[in-house]
Amino acid sequence: MSEKKEEDARIGVFVCSCGSNIGGLIDVKEVAEYAKSLPNVVFTEDNLYTCSETGLAQIKNGIKEHNLNRVVVASCTPRTHEPLFRDCIKDEGLNEYLFQFVNIRDQCTWVHMKYPHEALEKAKELIQMGVAKAAKLEALENIVVDATPTAMVVGGGVAGMTAALSLANQGFETHLVEKDNQLGGKLNIINTLFPTGQDASELLESLKKRVSNNPNLTVYTSAKVKDIGGFVGNYEVEVEQNGKSIDLAIGVIVVAVGASLLTPTGKYGYDGNKRITQYELEKKLKDNAVSAKDIVMIQCVGARNDERKYCSNVCCMTALKNALLIKEKNPNTNIIILFRDLYTPGTHYEEYYRRAREAGVIFLSYKLEREPIVEENNIKVYNEYIGEEMSIPYDLLVLSTPLIANDDNKELAQLLKVPLEENKFFLEAHVKLRPMDFATDGVFICGAAKWPVDLTESITQGYAAAGRASTIISHDTIEVEGATSFLPEYNKNLCSGCEVCITVCPYKAISKNENDEIEITQVLCKGCGVCGATCTNHAIIIRHFTDEQILSEIYAFGGS
Amino acid sequence: MVKNSKSVLIIGAGIAGIQAALDLGDMGITVHLIEKNPVIGGKMAQLDKTFPTLDCSICILAPKLSECYRHPNINIYTLSEVQKIEGSIGDFTVEVLKRARYVKEDACTNCGDCAKICPVRGIPNYFDANLKNMAAVYIPFPSAVPPVHIIDKNSCVYLNYGICGLCATSCGAEAIDFTQKDEILEIEKIGAIIVAPGYGLMEDVNPLTKYGYKKCRNVVTSLEFERLICASGPLEGHLRRLSDGVDPKKIAFLQCIGSRSDRDQKYCSSICCMYCTKAAMIAYEHNNDLESYVFYIDMRAGGKGFQTFLRRGADEYNIKYIKSKISQINVDLDESPIITYEDYDTSEIKQMKVDLAVLATCIIPSQGIEKLADVLGIELNRYNFIKTDPFLPVETSMEGIFTCGCAREPMDIPRSVAEASGAAARAAEVIKGG
Amino acid sequence: MSKFYLKYMHLEVVNIMSFEPKILGFLCNWCSYAGADLAGVSRMQYPPNIRVIRVMCSGRIDPKFIFEALRVGADGVIVLGCHLGDCHYLEGNYEAEKKFDMVKRFLTLIGFDNRIRLDWVSASEGARYAQVITEFTDHIKTLGPSPAGGDNPDNEILEKLKAIEDAAGSDRMRALVGRERKITEQENVYGETISLDKFNEIFDSAIRDEYNRHRILVSLEKESMSVKDLAKELQIDPSIVLEHMVTLKSRGQVDFGELLGITPTFYKL
Repeated sequence: MSEKKEEDARIGVFVCSCGSNIGGLIDVKEVAEYAKSLPNVVFTEDNLYTCSETGLAQIKNGIKEHNLNRVVVASCTPRTHEPLFRDCIKDEGLNEYLFQFVNIRDQCTWVHMKYPHEALEKAKELIQMGVAKAAKLEALENIVVDATPTAMVVGGGVAGMTAALSLANQGFETHLVEKDNQLGGKLNIINTLFPTGQDASELLESLKKRVSNNPNLTVYTSAKVKDIGGFVGNYEVEVEQNGKSIDLAIGVIVVAVGASLLTPTGKYGYDGNKRITQYELEKKLKDNAVSAKDIVMIQCVGARNDERKYCSNVCCMTALKNALLIKEKNPNTNIIILFRDLYTPGTHYEEYYRRAREAGVIFLSYKLEREPIVEENNIKVYNEYIGEEMSIPYDLLVLSTPLIANDDNKELAQLLKVPLEENKFFLEAHVKLRPMDFATDGVFICGAAKWPVDLTESITQGYAAAGRASTIISHDTIEVEGATSFLPEYNKNLCSGCEVCITVCPYKAISKNENDEIEITQVLCKGCGVCGATCTNHAIIIRHFTDEQILSEIYAFGGS
Repeated sequence: MVKNSKSVLIIGAGIAGIQAALDLGDMGITVHLIEKNPVIGGKMAQLDKTFPTLDCSICILAPKLSECYRHPNINIYTLSEVQKIEGSIGDFTVEVLKRARYVKEDACTNCGDCAKICPVRGIPNYFDANLKNMAAVYIPFPSAVPPVHIIDKNSCVYLNYGICGLCATSCGAEAIDFTQKDEILEIEKIGAIIVAPGYGLMEDVNPLTKYGYKKCRNVVTSLEFERLICASGPLEGHLRRLSDGVDPKKIAFLQCIGSRSDRDQKYCSSICCMYCTKAAMIAYEHNNDLESYVFYIDMRAGGKGFQTFLRRGADEYNIKYIKSKISQINVDLDESPIITYEDYDTSEIKQMKVDLAVLATCIIPSQGIEKLADVLGIELNRYNFIKTDPFLPVETSMEGIFTCGCAREPMDIPRSVAEASGAAARAAEVIKGG
Repeated sequence: MSKFYLKYMHLEVVNIMSFEPKILGFLCNWCSYAGADLAGVSRMQYPPNIRVIRVMCSGRIDPKFIFEALRVGADGVIVLGCHLGDCHYLEGNYEAEKKFDMVKRFLTLIGFDNRIRLDWVSASEGARYAQVITEFTDHIKTLGPSPAGGDNPDNEILEKLKAIEDAAGSDRMRALVGRERKITEQENVYGETISLDKFNEIFDSAIRDEYNRHRILVSLEKESMSVKDLAKELQIDPSIVLEHMVTLKSRGQVDFGELLGITPTFYKL
């Protein structure tokens, strides 16, 4: 990239009238005339609508006839029109980054309507600042790296298998890594599924079959991810399987490691025998070993309290499912569910709740401040509505406990350089609009590893992560805008290796290589500029918003 | 980049449709995005802030709208509806009715001169939940995409009576075109279809009279409340009672209006528990003297960070949660709502007078869903949402036609976005897998 | 008050009222710049004094930009970013906040801290943008013209601003402010979390020291001076000047110059 000397800049300034939106308040001809007097400006013109086909043609003409190498347009706002003008000058052979926008409408004529004289002066000064920056602009190339069209899914539960299948079906070589000796995750211990009541093994077998039949999908069971190097599109992953190392070249990684079950030791007299968890009940139901006459289920055990503030989503439906199953087998069994808020949102789950009520399951609410007291054969619970403490006999107590984050999430998070949130679940880029992405490009998350979810959502999220991952490896290359941060060769001696830049980059785009040098991975950089503003020795440069460029605007503002 | 010859048609350009379009577009697949409104963005564009992050809704949505508009692989058709489809998975042909905008999309600079001069005013703007009026030539909100004005053909006097035409004469870009006609477009070689028409609101079909809606100006729906507290809404974010302009000091948020009800809809609308707390928080930020009461049956907050959000509401935003069942709302002489309810904790019937009552109305299937389902040949479930199998959540009953978001069940934005990416993945499997 | 003053007082008042401040604003592309555009689209009116420089993120704002703006005569400088938690680049505005806090502490030393402002405006807050700009412009109007600006800027103030800019730009200060969030919110390299109060104690003392050290350097740039003369010019206690001189010498920034009688002088390297 050559450094253009200021004397080489030949700037063309196009001042837009925007019909009467600008021209109606200020004299754009006078503004264009003024612009001629600015340093490095060789051509100016005023247009009626610079963004119209006519206006764009005038820009192209100006570039051709006057050999312009920088273009400044003074009109509306770069937020809507910069791409249009960049494309325009690109068509005429000019690098798109040699364009500067000056906002003299949305932030000038439209907001100073009672001060036409001042608005005119302001427009001139803003153009003076824009021209100063334009003189310092440099041609930039977008960053392009290759993308390996392969994917790795870590975790072979429902979410992982769904993601892997979708990616494989899209034609990508996909590697599914599972630390257990079989696929399926929690689906292996579940008995029946809500809200359909079908056997879990049906869904599991069908998924497993599709996985093994897919030619693009390779499964590694009893395998763990040992090490990950590289970056988006170019990962080098080391998988360890039965003591052997397997090296894979991977384009994108999907994390689907699921969640763990909580053993409620010390709560409500849990003993794994008369007082069990819902998952232990699933096993009993599978073995047809439930013969209790009075069953009580307690919801929110170890959840939605100070210890664990969250709701685990699936426990209410699981309790209802098992209650309905038991009631169907044995209508005379008494089932009482002690709950705080019953979580059955949406259309089908709410319907399920009604079914349970109609089947004779009794629901009794309790409050967090007054938890039920479990005795050997009775449970004492205070209910607000009735206004009394009741004593409920039981011969089987089932505790609905939340899903919790895996113990090894931290290890995996460190390998992938992705964050965990306060409950140690993985933290996505943005809860609302980027729920399957991590802030670091190239890694995706789905299923209970992110947050406790039911099967329907696990499946949806598996597809979703596959969809998101596919946007990267659907192309041979990954391209990012050239306005990134970089540490130029000639500034390397300024870098003291203090690593403050690494600390402040939210995208983990900066790291130290084997030679202990600071490396900014271009394809991960989003161009925010925080590292540049922070670098203790002013070594890092932010392209297109360099110190020099911004200072030139400041000096022009000062009137020099 | 391998250009796929088959494209994907997406019906509905709310957040789900937009997300699916962006994902498919980014995969290199051509997308036809069909939207019946004049602009894209759906309901999310109308919200002030979103839970649980309290992000400004349009701020996080606008970049996606721009990206969609500029994306080389996405073709947007607004004022358009699918009329007919033929073919099957891998090769559909779709007939789209594109209504006339009467403004040339490639000429309009969105300067707004036409709207300023139009003599026909007083038309309720659907974007502002009909709380603010607009002219017959309008754009629903300033940062809308496409950034092009529209003429409402029902209200325009030129189109109906041949008089006026002031907008055409005042438009410097000569963008007004009264000669435009509705068009029928035929789009061929569609590999897969994604149906994402979003949801409707109960107040559109149910007068909610027993809650005092329309009778009392201080009983508003949640969407109306969003527009009232929105910085770019009819009151510019200064919440006031619509009857007398006084700042409300006591606001009631009533959940499950029309949901979980034997009389109206039996199902749960999922998101009201969260958005009522959110709305109360935003109102509190505007006025620290505010007392908010949330009337609920069960608090449903299973999503990430949701429980903590509710706790904050109770601890920091002066929100009191009353487990209850609402009976009705009457109106006091000063147009203040009086809520009659059964307090669950004391099993008493009580009354509470408030300054403003916000109804969290039931989320119903999108208007016109039955006709759309008919056209596409897909089944609806018993609630009239699009029918899907719980373990094939984005597939409709017709192969090659996928669905996502509130079209199939009431859900929040994170789930809609995830489902949209999921539907995109399934559609991509069809296009790429063959 | 003398009759003379009473007679001409109104002219002074008129002068202040006709003062039109030069205001520089740094707006971030995703929130505040969008909010400013929305103000335009909605035709919200505000005073025409502000000139805007667009950056991608408020976190891009290097303290030197604010100091240079003041040095070239800005009467007021305002930085506007996304609301905390809403930053398009996730955390940039938190970094902006820390840097701005440092800038403010430095400028408090010379009474300029009321000429700068940091605030948050979202893309949907057009009215708020107009309000903030109006408020800030009015506020700067009441402060009057900056002594560093105009046709006859105060040289002493300009030198002090240079000293502040150099001090804030030193690797010590940049390292401190760059690590502030990590140290106070997570932990330092010893695994300890330092409370914000404790950090600010260290921070403030570093600010005072580096300011004085760089004032010394600015003076020495012009000519070699002795500790006594420096103490007189800068109005700092000579023992403190000496302490700083020792540090500056150990940093390799100054060295012994010629002897004036028995008094050593120092010069800037």
